[in-house]
Amino acid sequence: MTKVVLTDKSSNLLSAIKGPTGPEHRQLANEVMRQALEQASLQIDDISCIVATGYGRVNVPFADRQITELSCHARGVSSLFPNVRTAIDIGGQDTKCMKIDNGRLTSFVMNDKCAAGTGRFLEVTATALGIRLEDMGDISSKATKKIQISNMCTIFAQQEVVALLSRGEKLENIVAGLHDALASRVAVLAHRLGIKPDLVLTGGVAKNTGMVRAMKESLGCELFVPEEPLLTGALGAAILAKEIYIKTVAEGKALPTKSRRLEKATFFT
Amino acid sequence: MSWFIGIDIGSAYSKGVIIKGFELVASHVIISGANYRTSAESIRTDLIRQVNLTHDDIANTVATGSGADNVYFASQKVSDIVCTARGINSVFPQARTVIDVASQSTKVIRLNGEGKVANFTVSEKCAGGSGRFIEVIANVLRIDLSDFGPLSARSRTPITFGTGCAVFGESEAITRVSEGIPKEDIAAGVNKALASKISSLVKKLKLEEPCAVCGGGALSIALVKTIESELNTTLLVPPHPQLMTALGAAIIAATSATPESSKKQN
Repeated sequence: MTKVVLTDKSSNLLSAIKGPTGPEHRQLANEVMRQALEQASLQIDDISCIVATGYGRVNVPFADRQITELSCHARGVSSLFPNVRTAIDIGGQDTKCMKIDNGRLTSFVMNDKCAAGTGRFLEVTATALGIRLEDMGDISSKATKKIQISNMCTIFAQQEVVALLSRGEKLENIVAGLHDALASRVAVLAHRLGIKPDLVLTGGVAKNTGMVRAMKESLGCELFVPEEPLLTGALGAAILAKEIYIKTVAEGKALPTKSRRLEKATFFT
Repeated sequence: MSWFIGIDIGSAYSKGVIIKGFELVASHVIISGANYRTSAESIRTDLIRQVNLTHDDIANTVATGSGADNVYFASQKVSDIVCTARGINSVFPQARTVIDVASQSTKVIRLNGEGKVANFTVSEKCAGGSGRFIEVIANVLRIDLSDFGPLSARSRTPITFGTGCAVFGESEAITRVSEGIPKEDIAAGVNKALASKISSLVKKLKLEEPCAVCGGGALSIALVKTIESELNTTLLVPPHPQLMTALGAAIIAATSATPESSKKQN
């Protein structure tokens, strides 16, 4: 997903837009930006500073700065939960566990090597089961037991869940088993870093109530989830943009900005 | 002289052979499908028909592979490691290391001077380190599995995959296709990724030469060549790489046949 957050100088949210990224949309950060500006009734020239983050941060031609998603997530999460010490972000591409001290990232561990430890595990198995990703939480709430998924590899788990279904196992119990499998793998990663309260869960997976429950069980502690768990990275980028701008102005300098033209990235051609 | 059957029920393919003496006289490979029991039966029926025999002519049957339990007509089950070692040893008595590139995992087996299993290591069930990676990417490229090797052999500039995960690799391949990267370069990139995982597994056990390669993955000459250059060795490739484990099972059937075990056939 590509997300845009616009804030004013007091970090109040003016607009927030999410759009699919996908291979062909990778060049189209401008589309999501245009929608966000429209929502806030602003022009691109009104924006003082733009920070891009995430894997595709170099694909935003109109961004003034690029900052890593780790720094932006840490900033965004701690603006919402000032007491956060550990943030876990489970996305479709990777899982990050961050140690945060006074709103700053102090260390992190990450899994981007194996889909089985990321939200992709649920995406792939949901498709195999013929259910929608966003319905998994509700489905798993009806579970009477958790079926253990023996394959770690997402590709093989895909076959396994279909076989379980055809063997007559209940869908909700399989889904609960999938949540448990992913949660226990993420917990192993988090324990490598060491967890300290307050804990915050973000990323698309945090929208899945079944996963939040499974994460609490696997970690054995309470978890906070922001209202918009997908937007913390973009929110952090907006806050950092504000800070960069204020600092530069305070130093009496002009902020060098990119041309405020909403155009798509052209790195492929 | 008696006839013996070896059946290897794998997660993706089921393989069966008949031997007479120690010579392979018939073989059959099918997709395992959802019912391994039916697969095992249909392999036996086909094998017997190929050589014009009846069930009574078969002196002994040995089953192997992850679905061996479903071969109800076998007199015994033997581990696939032992069977693969025996099969390779019958073709290449000099082999000291065997790499079996199967659909769910890759196995590396060390053989002692007598061709017996001295040690082995099995990759985690990870599609990125097994033949399954090839199937996943062949599907993205919309090409036949049998065309994968020849196609990738034409590549001059293989791509480098960012991860070793087949799921992430699949998305990456889709992106590369949309960027207009030639199919052969993507296919060759898969060989490179796979070969590097396989060779690190081999190095864990330490490579002792000569080394043979078998399993469905060895049907791709391009993959074999890539593993060869990773390991800096020449690999022995049997004429029917996919059948080595079933062949080993048949040989074990022949050497362990007793009147009791053959009675069980009926």
